[in-house]
Amino acid sequence: MVFEKVLTAYQEIPNYRGGMDDYLAAGGYQALPKALKEMQPAALVDEVKKSGLRGRGGAGFPTGMKWGFIPKGSPRPTYLVCNSDESEPGTFKDRMLIEEDPHQLVEGIVISSYAIGCHQAFIYCRGEFVHGARVLQRAIGEAYARGYLGANILGSGFSLELTVHRGAGAYICGEETGLLESLEGKRGQPRPKPPFPAVSGLYRSPTVVNNVETLCNVPHIVTRGAAWFAGIGPAKSAGPRLFSVSGHVNRPGNYELPMSVTLRELILEHGGGIPGGRRLKAVIPGGSSAPVLTGQHLDISMDFESLAAAGSMGGSGGVVVMDETTCMVRVGEIVARFYHHESCGQCTQCREGTAWLHKTLRRIEHGQGRKEDLDLLLDMCDNMKGKTICVLSDAAAMPIESYLKYFREEFELHIRERACPFAGQDAP
Amino acid sequence: MPTLKIDGVEVTVPAGTNIIEAAKRVGIEVPHYCYHPGLSVVGQCRMCQVDVEKTPKLAIACNTPVAEGMVVSTNSPKVEKARRAVLEFYLLNHPLDCPICDRGGECPLQDYTMKYGPGESRSVEEKVHRVKHRVLGPHVVFDAERCILCTRCVRFCQEVPKTGELGVFSRGERSEISLFPGCDLNNAYSGNVIDLCPVGALTSREYRFQARPWDLVRHTESVCPLCSNGCNVTLDVRHRQQGEQLLRIRPRENQAVNRWWICDEGRFGSLNLADPGRLHQPTWRAGAAPATMEHADVLLRTARALRQVTEAFGPEAVGCIASSRLTNEELFLVVRFFREILGTPHVDFRVRPIQFPDADASEDGLLRRTDKTANSRGARDLGVVPGPGGQDVAGMLEAAAQGRLKALFVLEEDLVSAFPDRPVATALGRLDLLVVSSLFPSATTAAAHAVLPALGFAEKEGSFTNFQGRIQKLHPALTPPVASRSLAEALAEIGFDLGRDLGAVDPEQVWARIGERAGPYRGIAWKDIGPEGLVPEGQSGN
Repeated sequence: MVFEKVLTAYQEIPNYRGGMDDYLAAGGYQALPKALKEMQPAALVDEVKKSGLRGRGGAGFPTGMKWGFIPKGSPRPTYLVCNSDESEPGTFKDRMLIEEDPHQLVEGIVISSYAIGCHQAFIYCRGEFVHGARVLQRAIGEAYARGYLGANILGSGFSLELTVHRGAGAYICGEETGLLESLEGKRGQPRPKPPFPAVSGLYRSPTVVNNVETLCNVPHIVTRGAAWFAGIGPAKSAGPRLFSVSGHVNRPGNYELPMSVTLRELILEHGGGIPGGRRLKAVIPGGSSAPVLTGQHLDISMDFESLAAAGSMGGSGGVVVMDETTCMVRVGEIVARFYHHESCGQCTQCREGTAWLHKTLRRIEHGQGRKEDLDLLLDMCDNMKGKTICVLSDAAAMPIESYLKYFREEFELHIRERACPFAGQDAP
Repeated sequence: MPTLKIDGVEVTVPAGTNIIEAAKRVGIEVPHYCYHPGLSVVGQCRMCQVDVEKTPKLAIACNTPVAEGMVVSTNSPKVEKARRAVLEFYLLNHPLDCPICDRGGECPLQDYTMKYGPGESRSVEEKVHRVKHRVLGPHVVFDAERCILCTRCVRFCQEVPKTGELGVFSRGERSEISLFPGCDLNNAYSGNVIDLCPVGALTSREYRFQARPWDLVRHTESVCPLCSNGCNVTLDVRHRQQGEQLLRIRPRENQAVNRWWICDEGRFGSLNLADPGRLHQPTWRAGAAPATMEHADVLLRTARALRQVTEAFGPEAVGCIASSRLTNEELFLVVRFFREILGTPHVDFRVRPIQFPDADASEDGLLRRTDKTANSRGARDLGVVPGPGGQDVAGMLEAAAQGRLKALFVLEEDLVSAFPDRPVATALGRLDLLVVSSLFPSATTAAAHAVLPALGFAEKEGSFTNFQGRIQKLHPALTPPVASRSLAEALAEIGFDLGRDLGAVDPEQVWARIGERAGPYRGIAWKDIGPEGLVPEGQSGN
């Protein structure tokens, strides 16, 4: 079966700019009247459940189930928050969805809000997405003008206000409870769970936090039905997915594909292969937090289950390709530096551990490593995993563990030779 | 009430109790840093991780409510490894300046490291260096290197005084506690962050470098004397060559009175007992200049002068203004001496309008109250008020001015400064006998014929009754200065010189006599008044 693009289909229309007229001409805002006028909220939640849509932010949690956790008859308002704090290194697909086709997201938000009984939705936009936030603001203005937002949308009796909030530049605000804290105007640090946001989220009210890409799927599920969506890709990882392919490939970019696509196809066919005919060394399949895979994993498909079975994860869909010129200790140092920089600092293991990981890896990369450092790194990782409020600590530890698992000799070589053997050999 | 098992010990606690508190009930300590029962739960330090059967991950005991049938281990190998790891992470950047740290010796980081932590560091990285002494406010200094970012101080300021001067700034390993711009840590309760700090990051400007914890040889339970709330405190005393010194006043938990806190006035305002300006010698003034003499001689002269007044003008020419800073036992003896033995109706304690019923109020909805004396309630309960035909404070001063009142005892009040708008000194000047007991010299002692150095609250045994009607004991933490004599002994000695017996003056025996009399304290035995005090049945409110 030939895969037909869904989320990025309109972007392929010549001269498509993503404005209201373009979106309407392409067939946009047709799901909205159908949802508001023909479907009850509960039926919408059911439809999304049946579609098998899973969150595209990183955890892959079933979206319909998340919506179903919103308590019925809460005296507090329900909020929908669109997480567009896309910050995972190697991931740049939400940015494209926002900048190229903002109305698809707005339509998804209105329908989803209707499904969960929300009348005030927020888009929490990554601080660095200055252009994206402008694009969204313009699209929201157009949607208000057309009656797709505001009071009594399309005469349905349903009302929704939509507000864009820009973050201030913190990876941790992509963690949903850290995001909610930040949105409330507080220091962006994750909350202990339970309670989960569905019960006590924004302003201690029932809240759904969904990723940009997740919400963009919703109008298409409404228009074309859950069965159509469920038929795309593997049964447990249904629907299209955007893969952000970067690193040592000839054609880096976002590729919308079913999750049955293999790593090999993604790198060789879609990504155009590795420049200079060099050999593949390692691939991060789901953003920097995902454990690394190697050439031996090329034939696994990019669905949540297969990647988990291979010891990694689907994560955010950021595929980082590294060829044989890459120093894995240097990769470890860079990845660890990122988490060192981004840890919010509230949990001891993460605040101190991310820094210690980084300093140790930096030392090894710079020829100051000791034999005992490798087991020390693994023990640090063990002490950081599964013991903190959020998973940033795990996200820092898991990749380092995987680099040591597949490339331990390379670390040992650094220590033995008291230098990086790749120095001066970086790929162009 | 769920029943659960912690380390094999069964415990039943109210639903909603967390595992730390449940374990405490059966004497099991779950080590923790960020958790405090008086603050919100943030679950950040990760020190209180425990193993809960049938859950894959370790749970933090502070944020895990008990459940029926729960089986908890606080010392499984998994817990021990996780706890050791947390301590190792803490110590990566914690300076090893314990030998010069105020907290050294009473530091939970030190204690838990000794008990659960790694003996040696595996880190070879350079420690992160930060600011070592930043003055945060009038009482608190901050050492950022020692800080373990438990955020208790931040939460305290947000949640208790609700002033929110402190915050966590920057992120990750660069996180630091600091003041918000334009703020000083100068709220009325700022000193509590010193107790809350589990390390030596927040230290007291008054106490720091004064003593090591093991120099503090006595920790005496007492009650703060600086307002009618009666906050429970512990008095920490160290020995010095020249005697003992009260170095530190800390809150003592009493949920009915002060929870875990005290105000800064209470913490720092009573540390003046070693002040060299204190009255050191009893004096007697016959003419212009006072003469220093033995206690017994001053009291004998006082008794003689008093006898002359009563013989010439009758007992009604005598009055007594007794401070409600005095203990119940002292006030009982005052009433006994002046009303019953001498037979004068002119006795009062109400120097300020705030000491009248219903005038005393909370200053801030927390602890501090407007009546800055500790025992107005006790004074009222014990009848330190004018008898039939008796004069109140204003009446006595008026009578003194007109020459009707000939002898006046002023016990631990400075009348001259209490009534700045009245010619008090002139009135006092007309008296044949003015006896003043006081801790410090004042305009009132300057006018006195007899000056008796008084005892401070930390030098005497007795009780105060707080505004709620709660009777609370104070115990002596310090040996009184040589020249000071208790007020009870002074009154007894004057009584002896007059040929009258005041009876026993020991506070416990005095209390026994209070308990025999009609009134709110009837039937209460000294031993009934426990460390958290006692509210007589049917007594509450102001």
